[in-house]
Amino acid sequence: MASEKLNVIDNLQNLDVLQMDRRTFMKAVAALGASGFVARYGTSLAKAMEFSKTKVVWLHGAECTGCSISALNAYNPEFADALEKLNISLEYHETILAQQGLFVDGKLVNTSELNGEILLDELANEGGYILVVEGSIPNGPDNTGKACILGGHPFKDIVEKTARKADAIVAIGTCASYGGITTTNCDTKEYCDFQGMSFTETTPGGILKILGIDKPCINIPGCPAHPDWFFLTVAALILGKLDLNNIGAALDQYGRPKPFYPPESTIHDNCPRRGYYDRGILDKEIAQGGCLWKLGCKAPYAHSDCALRKWNNGLSLCMQAGGPCLACVEPTFPNASMPFFEESEKTEILFGANIGHVALFAIGVAVVAAGVHAVRRMKKE
Amino acid sequence: MTENVMRYDWIGRWTHTFHAIAMLVLIFTGLVIYFRWDIMSMHNARTLHMVSVPVLILTNWFLVPYGIIVQGYAEGGVKGIITHFYNNYIFNSRDAKHLSQAIKNFFGKGEYPKFTIYDKGKGHYITRLHPLFKIFIVLEGISIFLIFLTGIVLYDVNWSIFGLPIAQWITTIFGWFAPFLNLSSLSFIRWVHLALTYFFIFELICHALILQFAPKPFNYWKTIFITGKEDFNNPVVQVIDSSKDEA
Ligand code: SF4
Ligand code: SF4
Repeated sequence: MASEKLNVIDNLQNLDVLQMDRRTFMKAVAALGASGFVARYGTSLAKAMEFSKTKVVWLHGAECTGCSISALNAYNPEFADALEKLNISLEYHETILAQQGLFVDGKLVNTSELNGEILLDELANEGGYILVVEGSIPNGPDNTGKACILGGHPFKDIVEKTARKADAIVAIGTCASYGGITTTNCDTKEYCDFQGMSFTETTPGGILKILGIDKPCINIPGCPAHPDWFFLTVAALILGKLDLNNIGAALDQYGRPKPFYPPESTIHDNCPRRGYYDRGILDKEIAQGGCLWKLGCKAPYAHSDCALRKWNNGLSLCMQAGGPCLACVEPTFPNASMPFFEESEKTEILFGANIGHVALFAIGVAVVAAGVHAVRRMKKE
Repeated sequence: MTENVMRYDWIGRWTHTFHAIAMLVLIFTGLVIYFRWDIMSMHNARTLHMVSVPVLILTNWFLVPYGIIVQGYAEGGVKGIITHFYNNYIFNSRDAKHLSQAIKNFFGKGEYPKFTIYDKGKGHYITRLHPLFKIFIVLEGISIFLIFLTGIVLYDVNWSIFGLPIAQWITTIFGWFAPFLNLSSLSFIRWVHLALTYFFIFELICHALILQFAPKPFNYWKTIFITGKEDFNNPVVQVIDSSKDEA
């Protein structure tokens, strides 16, 4: 995989970014990463973007804002540079922009300059933007969506209003993509009925289906999402390298862009600790330096390019830093990843027993029963 | 004087031999890989594991049906194949009766059933296997199929043949059931592979120990793997003569 990546980079040396077909473009961005991509194609990008401005509306639902922070942590290009390079106008972002709702006698006052709610209404009326949704969308209790209220409105209604007029939707982070942390099995999950945009856990549909909205939606899961995955997907959208009429072709079965979440490999395939796994050096305790499989590493079940792209400006990744992968990019996160520090095969199946316990019991019973059976027969004969 | 008859022809004996060797190697190397036992290198364990897969598959999916067809045809042409298969491998009402006798006998009531029936008049067996093994055969067949499917994905999540993304299809199908165990599709596939390994150990113990604890166990091993001949004095064998009955 790593050598394949080098070949791709080599082949892309002299290609014109604007002439690239869709497949090559996505391959290029995946292989180069945001910094490599901007360094190599920055000039042609600037030329391409000169006259076209893309509006982005960024909403926050049930979430921790970690994905915004991750995007703000982008290093090369930095968040503001990326917006500038792609000629993006970030029209609305609840946690970065300062507008607040101003009310007098219960009525919204002032203009969109100072009042976020009026701004959002105006934007929604105009349409023609990319809608970025961060955080899941509560549909409960009882389909009211009132489990998450913003400025007096259920978040579900805000999503409905803005999604209808959007050109495309990007769900950033696992919460917006599939429900993520908010769908951790508990009573709150049932009560609030958290939904992802186009999926809820592994089930397609999500809030868009509930609202009856049919819009192309791209999932960029991760807890948080990697800034490269987000910016490069948006770049592809802006440059028309993602065909909105046939978006499914570029996405995997869970709506993720295949170049960043390759269905054909798992993170484990490219892990820096893979050599230890192959030699059977499996750590039993944290910080022994070997493979983290027995400490609950879920990378063998997770599809993303984390191990090639790495995090914090390509410095490190979860396993490199000593922590097992939690498969945070998967629609089954976090339920299927828990307990985080136990291997999946130890999942409880019966009264706290795992498959190993059940097997041991069954084998014990078989040995005793076979023995008794044989002794009886020998006595008779 | 002991009277012998051929219980397993060469196909039957080779099938047993290859099946047993492949199964034992697969279970052992599988456990070495899973538990990372320090007995052999991972590379060797994986190589042995992968080499044993085609042996088991060829034995089960080709040698076994071939043996059934050849023997059935010899017993009665095309119809004979169906009757042979039904009588020898499908758990039927006679087996249910035998199994209930065996259970009663286990708790000290009644005789142990003579579950193997040889028809002197027709010159072949009517049924051979222990009724419990007939149940195991079905479970084993399903298990081998499932462990093969899950093994494909563990071998390569992207495995395809003639452009058909087989591994991805398997992953998708297992993904429908994975949430019942609160697992993701790939971890469920790995879990099933492990669970079936344990099932094979369980089955092996039932199979081998029941034979091993019987009187003169070596006779069984000799019949299964070497001579193929069965002694009619074996207390679980019942010899009938349909030609006399008909007369
Ligand atoms: S640490 Fe995790 S990803 Fe890395 S080799 Fe071990 S199991 Fe695979
Ligand atoms: S390595 Fe695993 S836990 Fe870490 S970011 Fe990637 S998918 Fe998430």
